[in-house]
Amino acid sequence: MLLEKGLIYGNAGPYSTRTMDQLPGEYRIVKIFFRFFSSRALALAVALSLPIGCGDFSSVRDRHTLYIHLGSEPGHLNPITSTEAVASSINQHIYETLLDRDYDTAELVPQLAESWSISPDRLRYRFRLKKGVFWSDGVELTADDIIYSFRTIKDPKVACAPLKVYYIDVREVRKIDRYTVEFLYSKQYFRALEICGTIPIVPEHIFADGTDFNTHKNNRFPVGTGPYRFERWDTGKRIVLVRNDSYKGKAPDLHRIVYRIVAEPNIALQMVKKGEMDMMSVRAIQWVRQTNSDRFVKNFYKLQYYLPTYNYIGWNAARPLFADRRVRLAMTHLINRDAILDKLLFGIGEVVSGSSYIYSKGYDKSIKPWPYDPERARELLARAGWRDTDGDGILDRAGKKFAFTFTIPSGSKFAERLGTIMKEDLSKVGIEMDINRYEWAVFVQKLHQRDFDAVTLAWSLSWEDDPYQLWHSTQVAGGSNFCSFKNAEADDLIIRLRKEFDEKKRIRMYHRFHRILHEEQPYTFLYCTPAQVVVSKRFSDVKVHLRGLNYLEWKVAAIDD
Amino acid sequence: MIKYILKRLLLIVPTFIGISLITYAMIRLAPGDYTTLRAGLQGELKAGAIGNEIIEQEKRLYGLDKPVIVGYWDWFSKLVVFDFGTSRKDGRPVAERIGEALPITLALNIISMIIVYIISIPGGILSALKKDSLYDRVSSLILFVLYSLPSFWVGLLLLMVLSGGDYLNLFPLGGIVSDWAEDFGFFDRMLNIAWHLMLPVATLTYGGFAFLSRYTRATMLEVINQQYIMTARAKGLSEKRVVLVHAFRNSLVPLVTLMATILPGLLGGSVIVESIFSIPGMGMLAFEAILARDIPVIMAIASISAALTLLGILIADILYGVVDPRIRLEAGQ
Repeated sequence: MLLEKGLIYGNAGPYSTRTMDQLPGEYRIVKIFFRFFSSRALALAVALSLPIGCGDFSSVRDRHTLYIHLGSEPGHLNPITSTEAVASSINQHIYETLLDRDYDTAELVPQLAESWSISPDRLRYRFRLKKGVFWSDGVELTADDIIYSFRTIKDPKVACAPLKVYYIDVREVRKIDRYTVEFLYSKQYFRALEICGTIPIVPEHIFADGTDFNTHKNNRFPVGTGPYRFERWDTGKRIVLVRNDSYKGKAPDLHRIVYRIVAEPNIALQMVKKGEMDMMSVRAIQWVRQTNSDRFVKNFYKLQYYLPTYNYIGWNAARPLFADRRVRLAMTHLINRDAILDKLLFGIGEVVSGSSYIYSKGYDKSIKPWPYDPERARELLARAGWRDTDGDGILDRAGKKFAFTFTIPSGSKFAERLGTIMKEDLSKVGIEMDINRYEWAVFVQKLHQRDFDAVTLAWSLSWEDDPYQLWHSTQVAGGSNFCSFKNAEADDLIIRLRKEFDEKKRIRMYHRFHRILHEEQPYTFLYCTPAQVVVSKRFSDVKVHLRGLNYLEWKVAAIDD
Repeated sequence: MIKYILKRLLLIVPTFIGISLITYAMIRLAPGDYTTLRAGLQGELKAGAIGNEIIEQEKRLYGLDKPVIVGYWDWFSKLVVFDFGTSRKDGRPVAERIGEALPITLALNIISMIIVYIISIPGGILSALKKDSLYDRVSSLILFVLYSLPSFWVGLLLLMVLSGGDYLNLFPLGGIVSDWAEDFGFFDRMLNIAWHLMLPVATLTYGGFAFLSRYTRATMLEVINQQYIMTARAKGLSEKRVVLVHAFRNSLVPLVTLMATILPGLLGGSVIVESIFSIPGMGMLAFEAILARDIPVIMAIASISAALTLLGILIADILYGVVDPRIRLEAGQ
């Protein structure tokens, strides 16, 4: 389970485009930007820049180079120690893993592995490597690299805590022969194949040179086996990848990928329009308001796809106010999710009713989100004992007023505006709400200490999610179950689900679990919002897959001017 | 004089230790640390207690388990040999990161400071001489309007109008040097950089005129009504001489106070201007480090500016004596 602040809280500062955590091999929304060239803008640029001795950008530009926007700069590109989404978006072209996910079905498919087998007790996972795969410096990839990578992750001196937690149950990785490795699990787990198969793999011959892994010089000069290899890094400006000629798979049509670091999204979009970048993931307001001119539509594809994320309002059930299911349900009925979607997100997104990815099999489509219904909410509140007995316009129970604080991360425009709308709507039924904003670090601490009444946040999920860390009652103390959701049936389902290898049975459990969440409303689930990307029509074969875009299949379109 | 300077220099040491200790304690005591933030909410979860153990292990790796005073001592004993440590974000030496960000920030600040001084001081003197004239009123109105414009707005507007391509296309959309200028000769490269710096410098300077010119005007007014100015005029000195030598020199004394802020000011970058113009300078470096709790970077920047501030104050004090012989630095023997 990932916390992806950047998706929803797009304006939260330098952290906004980073995932706070990262699962190996998973695809992630990255704020990437691009842009295309119009010949007229170009001519103008030439004419105006010549007087001060500056040439024109396009004259030196290789048509086979893809310019992508990066909203923030990664610290380094080591797939084991890095946690940044921007780093993994770059690394996915440099490094490979044993298994990958299919772009259209998100099923696990072979990448470095040729085949795999699983022992009947589901504790041993054996992978057979493809032969003749070389690191971009010419050394062959073998089982030793995988074993080295695993030991590195386990090494207490290596700063990769967010990754380490995924490998707690992996006891050992054994070398069977030069091209075969076996992962030994200490207990059964339905995501074991994915976790073994997507372990980040780094070259032993580069990193095992006796220097500190965390500050190794190759962290900023990666050597991988993927379709691209690292070329150069101009700190604060750009990162350049070039096609890896020793790559075994199909050679991509694009020779180079240049990531340009531009922190300000308005400027980035302008660069896209001016032809200095080919691709950028845009914000909702840019998608709706700033990318619809005829010229823009003529020169750019506007692409939109949903990734496994959702945002929500969490009600702290450990507080007496929200311990009652009826009160939580009433709150959901009081929040006009459709209207808020229209107002704040231009109507782009889906209202969700549960914790699984809306387009996954585990999400039960027959469960519709609770409607906006203030009357029913009033009724539920009255049944829970909340009535305005003293006539001051505020609900009360046993002499206590219905008042709570809504905790949000400062800098999040969405949360800010959501809070304002809620405050207004809730006051109409006699509920007093205050908004408290905290800097991200403080906000996280408040969650850890369970020191909040209600909170808004977004989760980024894996394709098939494990509900344990968010919803199991053991995770109330010390885990991510901030809202103290406790339900005996859910606990039982979660534990059984984690050991169920029959997909059909597992899906039934997911659906049942979804139903429980819907009835209990530990969260008011909000939206799954799409990634919105603009891509230059300089390229053809730009397809939207379930997992998003795949540059490897893009072609440079024929010149039309 | 020498004795005075030595004494002051010695005093700087304990002051500096005090400042850096407080800074260090504040970062350590503030909520959140690099490891926990990086792990996010997820860090603790997976396996509850085991997850926490892993986080604690990583904190130990970076000395975050040690008491504040011990952590400070570790940092300070390295600082003495000018070792700022390594940045948590990218594992590179902090000195290297500052070395990358500093030149561009210095260039921007020096250029804008020179422009601000060159325009504001004569402007302020003129305003004082022509007090309450049309020029005085109009110029102060304009300067205050400029002062009130928020820089993120002006910067974006300048870029959109002058470089966006939709209206005019005179300047590049941010950055310091064009990709294609890498192989230029020195002179062409400098031209290219200058071309890139025009808009950022404009954004950094326009708001700075008001303060300095009003300050000059005020101090100048105070001096110009003194009797010795009347005397100077009475003995037939040229107006130029009266103003520039007799009046201006004396009005310099309060301006010297500003000197104290110049040195550390050179180092600081504007987060807003840097992010709008895609300039990887000191502002962004410090800002990101603070949000991520990257202690070595925060401490390096904080201690350098503390040292420069202390030095700036010392220089200002010495300059008082230079501009105004009436001020004596040491008490009489």
